[in-house]
Amino acid sequence: MLTQVLLEIKSAQNGLNLSELSRKLDIDRSALDGMIQFWVRKGRLRDDDADFAAMTSMCSPPSCGGSCAGMAVCPFVAKIPKTYSIPAQKNDRPAE
Amino acid sequence: MKSHDLAYTQRDGFSIDYGREAEEEIVRLQEEIKRQSHIENQFPSRWLAIKLLEGDHDIQMRLKELKGGLELLAAAEKSNAHLNKIYGDDVDVIIADHRYGWINGLVREAVKRTRPDRLSKSDKVDRIVTHRLLGIPIFLIAMWVVFKLTADISAHYLDWVDGVIGGPITNWMMSLLGVLGLGGNWVESLFVDGIIAGVGGVLVFVPVMMFLYLALAILEDSGYMARAAFVMDRLMHALGLHGKSFLPMLIGFGCTVPALYATRTLENEKDRILTGLLVPFMSCGARLPVYILFAAIFFPENASGVVFGLYLLGILTAVILGIILKNTLFQGKEQSTFVMELPPYRLPTLRGIWFHMWERTSAFVRKAWTIILATSIILWILMAIPVSGSGSFADTDVSDSAFATANEVFAPVLAPLGFDSWEASSALVTGFVAKEVVVSTMAQVYAVEEVEEEAEATTFFEDIGEIITSFISATGDTLKSLPLIIGIDLFEEEDEAELTDLMLAVRNSFEESSSGHGALASMAFMVFVLIYTPCMVAIAAEKQELGAKWMWFSIIGQLLLAWLMAFVVFQGGKLLGLG
Repeated sequence: MLTQVLLEIKSAQNGLNLSELSRKLDIDRSALDGMIQFWVRKGRLRDDDADFAAMTSMCSPPSCGGSCAGMAVCPFVAKIPKTYSIPAQKNDRPAE
Repeated sequence: MKSHDLAYTQRDGFSIDYGREAEEEIVRLQEEIKRQSHIENQFPSRWLAIKLLEGDHDIQMRLKELKGGLELLAAAEKSNAHLNKIYGDDVDVIIADHRYGWINGLVREAVKRTRPDRLSKSDKVDRIVTHRLLGIPIFLIAMWVVFKLTADISAHYLDWVDGVIGGPITNWMMSLLGVLGLGGNWVESLFVDGIIAGVGGVLVFVPVMMFLYLALAILEDSGYMARAAFVMDRLMHALGLHGKSFLPMLIGFGCTVPALYATRTLENEKDRILTGLLVPFMSCGARLPVYILFAAIFFPENASGVVFGLYLLGILTAVILGIILKNTLFQGKEQSTFVMELPPYRLPTLRGIWFHMWERTSAFVRKAWTIILATSIILWILMAIPVSGSGSFADTDVSDSAFATANEVFAPVLAPLGFDSWEASSALVTGFVAKEVVVSTMAQVYAVEEVEEEAEATTFFEDIGEIITSFISATGDTLKSLPLIIGIDLFEEEDEAELTDLMLAVRNSFEESSSGHGALASMAFMVFVLIYTPCMVAIAAEKQELGAKWMWFSIIGQLLLAWLMAFVVFQGGKLLGLG
C-alpha cells in the first residue's frame, strides 16, 4: 500500500492531486497524508513548500521598494498549492 | 519445523504480521534480546526488535550506552542487510507498508461510510473545474472576469485619483511652496512637473491594482487558484514542457523577480534555465498600468478585452518559445511528476480578502515612493538640462533637453513599429528601471509639454469637499458599472469618461508618429512592453539564477522578439487595413 502510493506518483502522466490519488488507491485521505509524509521523511518525495520556505532572502535590490523577507511572505507570490515531487537524483525502485 | 516457523504462527496477544521473512528476523532478534536480560527488562522484546529493524535513531543511541547493546545493533544490522536483499528496499518501508495495510483493512471493516463514492462537495466541483476539456475554458473565463473588474470597473476611481492628484494635491503643493518662497522657480517645477507628475502618474493606478488584487484574493482564498495551477500543469505536460514550471510562471503574473528565484524548485538545470527564460513573458503587475492607459485611450469600448488579450499573448509566446527551446537548446528526458494538494473550496472572508489585497497594493505604493520617486527626480533633472535651444536649467523646452536628445537616438529604430517619437522611446528606456516608470515617464514628458491653464482658485476646505463629493460620485459610478461584467451598460453616452490631458497628449503623439494609425501603433507599443526585457531587478535576478550567458541571451532575445512582434502587429495591421 505504501509503495503503491509512490509507484502511482512515479507512473502518473500528469500531476496528480491528493484527492484523486486517494480515490484511485481506495485509501482514506488522512492515511494518504501520513504516507506522503513518510516518503518525505525517507527522502523519496520532496516537499516543494520547504524549498519556498527556505528562501528567506531573495530580491536584492528588492523589487517591491521595501526589504525582502523571503518567498513565504513576498506579497507578489500568489498562493500556490502545496506539492510533493519525486527528487530527480533518486532512482530507487520500491519493492513491488 | 524450525523454531522460527513456529514462532511465526504463534504470537502472544495483538501484533501486526510483517510477513514471514520479517517475522523470522524479529524472532531472531528477540532471542538475542532475551540473552541480555537487563535490556529485556527495559524494553518489550518484540517492540525493540521492530525498532532495531526500523533503524530508530533514538533506540540505537540508547543501546550503545548499554552493555551488550553493540552486539544487538550488529545483529540488527545483519538482519537488515538480509531483509534488504530479499525485499529490495529499506526494512522500515516494509514495516510501515504492513502497518498501513493493517490499518486500512481495519478501517474498511470497522468504518461505515455515508458517502460510498468518497466524493466531497469540493471533489464534485473539481470534476468540472479540472476537467480535461472544461478546465482551461473555465480558467479563461475566470481571468476574463478579473480583467473586466480591473480595466472597466476601476476606471471611475482611477479618474478620481487622477483628479485629486492633478487638482487639490498639486494646488496645495504650489501653495505650500509659495508660502516658503520657493514658488515660480525650478523647485516648484521639480515638485510639480517631476515628483507629482512622475509618482502621481503611477499612483493614479492604485485603484486598478486594488481591483486586480481584490479579484486575485477572491480566487486564491476560495481555493480556485490551486485548481488553475493544476489545469496549467496538464497543459504544460500536453505541450511537452515540465509540469512544475507552472509554479514560477504563476508567480510571474505578480512579479518576475520572485518568479525567477522560484525556479530553484526545479532540480534539473535545463528545466530551471528554460523556465527562467520563459517567466518574463508572464506579464507582471507592473506592466498593467501601461496596458490600462493605452487601452483606455485607443480601445475604450473594449479595454478589458485588450488587456486580457495581452496576457494571453504573453502566455502563448511563452508556450511556443518553450516548445521550440525544449526541442532545440534544451532537449532532455521528461522529468518526474508530482502530487498536489488541492485545498477545499471555501467562502473567502472579507478580512482575508482585504488583508491580501492591501498587502499587495501597499507594495505597489511603496515602490512608487522609492524607485519611482528616485527615477522621477533623475528624469526631471535630465529634462531640465538644456542641450540645444535658448533655454536655461529648468526653463527649457523639453524637446531641447538632455533627456530628449539622448532618447532621439533610439527613435529611428522604433519607426517601423509606428511610435518613433522620442517620448515613446524614452518611456521604453526608462522602463528598464521598473515597468511602472513607462507610465510615470509619459506623465512627466507630456505634462511638461502641456499648456498651462488658468485654474480657478479654491480654498482648502473647498478642495476637501470636492475630494469627498467626487469620491462619492466615483463610488456610485463604480457600482453602476458592475453590470458591465455581464455586458450590461447602464451609462448614457454622455456619461462615459473623458480623456485626461495626458491621454489626449499620448493619443496625439501616437497618431502623429504613426501617420494616423494610432490604435495600431498603441497595440504595437503594448506588445513591445509585454515582450521586451524586464526591469533591472529582474535582470539582476536572471544573472544570479541563470548565469551571465543566459541573462544576455534573455535580454537580447526579448528585445529582438519584442521588436519583431510589434513590427508584425503594426505593419501587418496596416496591410490588413486595421487600426
